[in-house]
Amino acid sequence: MIRNIRIYFSFLGASLKKMLEYRVDCLVGMVSQIAFQLIELIFIWIIFQNTDNIGGWNFTQLLLLYGVMMLSVAVTDLLFDATYDIGNRFIRKGKFDTILLRPVNPLISVLGESQTSTALGYIILSFILIVFTLMKLNITITLFLIIKILYFGILGGIIIGGFQTIFSISGFWTYKSNEVVWSVFQLHKLAEYPIEIYNKFIRVLITMILPFACVSYFPTLNYLGSSKGKIAYIAPVVAIIVWFIAIKVWNFALNKYRSTGN
Amino acid sequence: MIRKIIAIAKQDAREGLYYRFDLLLYICNFMIQIAVYVFIWLAIYNQGNQILGMSFEQVTTYYILVVSLDPIIGWGINEILGEAIRDGQVLRELLHPISFFSYYFGIRIGELVEAGIVGIITFLLCAILFGIVLPQSLFHFCAFLVVIVLSIIVIYFFEMILSMSAFYTNSVWGIEILKRAIISIFSGMIAPLTLFPEWVQKIANFLPFQECIYTPINIYFGELSNIEILQTIIKQGIWITVLYLLAKFIFHKAIKNITINGG
Repeated sequence: MIRNIRIYFSFLGASLKKMLEYRVDCLVGMVSQIAFQLIELIFIWIIFQNTDNIGGWNFTQLLLLYGVMMLSVAVTDLLFDATYDIGNRFIRKGKFDTILLRPVNPLISVLGESQTSTALGYIILSFILIVFTLMKLNITITLFLIIKILYFGILGGIIIGGFQTIFSISGFWTYKSNEVVWSVFQLHKLAEYPIEIYNKFIRVLITMILPFACVSYFPTLNYLGSSKGKIAYIAPVVAIIVWFIAIKVWNFALNKYRSTGN
Repeated sequence: MIRKIIAIAKQDAREGLYYRFDLLLYICNFMIQIAVYVFIWLAIYNQGNQILGMSFEQVTTYYILVVSLDPIIGWGINEILGEAIRDGQVLRELLHPISFFSYYFGIRIGELVEAGIVGIITFLLCAILFGIVLPQSLFHFCAFLVVIVLSIIVIYFFEMILSMSAFYTNSVWGIEILKRAIISIFSGMIAPLTLFPEWVQKIANFLPFQECIYTPINIYFGELSNIEILQTIIKQGIWITVLYLLAKFIFHKAIKNITINGG
């Protein structure tokens, strides 16, 4: 296990370095990703031109919630981006066969090929947003709080990464996993807003079935010092369950794997 | 030439429709997006706020139309063309017995088949699920369609210009996102443009992007007079000419000092 994680990070490091070779690409990527985030922030801003709260959350609190989600999403992008490519980049092009020949767990090899260095800028940006909004909400920033933010941020990224890994196995049959993974990923949009505004169906969906609420909603409440925020502490359990399923499902798919033969 | 374009479109559409499961996923995704918008605005309306004299049904309809139009307007040729430039395939395409612009226009139409199916199904499902306001009249609905068709052409040339930068930067994906950011802000995709500050509205009035989303939806609601509809169409005509000439100019400049990886 420890060995696998170490190998994973050395793979990841190598592919990030590969990415950083293309400086201009990297910069354009970063700038445009920030632009993309701005679109959503503009939407939130527009909403609050018309109301002072939604579901009891004010502008700053909503920005905080948004920042918390963004941090986890950025971590997912950084660590598990390759889940998008299992179908196209690995299986269809036959690259997966070389991965199978390595004396390393194939899942580790694949995930280690993640290469979104742009996520680094993203992580810094969302972290600044979180700290800034917390300060505006008159919450004292302690070292403990910062550790908590990073802890839940990374954990959230791991949870989302787990979902992506589960659904990436569709690539073994369709040779094209990006759309499926992207669809699951898109569900995080629901958790960018307080769950109070949704109906029962969506609430159950994002707290119980695909617990994106554990990534953003509950940690945010935790930072804000609400009593409901204690639920956030189950996040590690959620992460373990998700990854347990992910590894089982992945191994199942791996057994069914048939090379595309090129 | 039109026959050639249609042949290319058919081929491209067939390729896209092969992945039917993807279309289903897109529809699910768009429905999630719409649900987020609807629930947010519902929360706002439940607090007794009224936005610009729009009823909640109108706001719902607005966002259902925004998201359904999104693939039709937004799924362009940017990525395909960018990739083609990047991996050198464009070199072969330049030698085709069909002009470069017509070839990609064919591909764009092929994409449109897929996008149209996704958009229309999303629209119908959400109309049933959330309820919508019907178009003002058949005439307004037809005008709505005309304006959208013209904006597809405007966006096509806009994309052509943006994609040409792939001759220089290699960052296809970044440009795709940049395109989306520009269109989202100035087309009214995020929110009705009247909710934006004055200066944004002024820029949007000048740029051709509000005709992609905001103006057609207003036509759908019957908010524009016949003269204003005519003005819109004239404005689009001017933009199509300008962008076409600009795209041609940049294209001829770009292929003169072309560098292609492995080409």
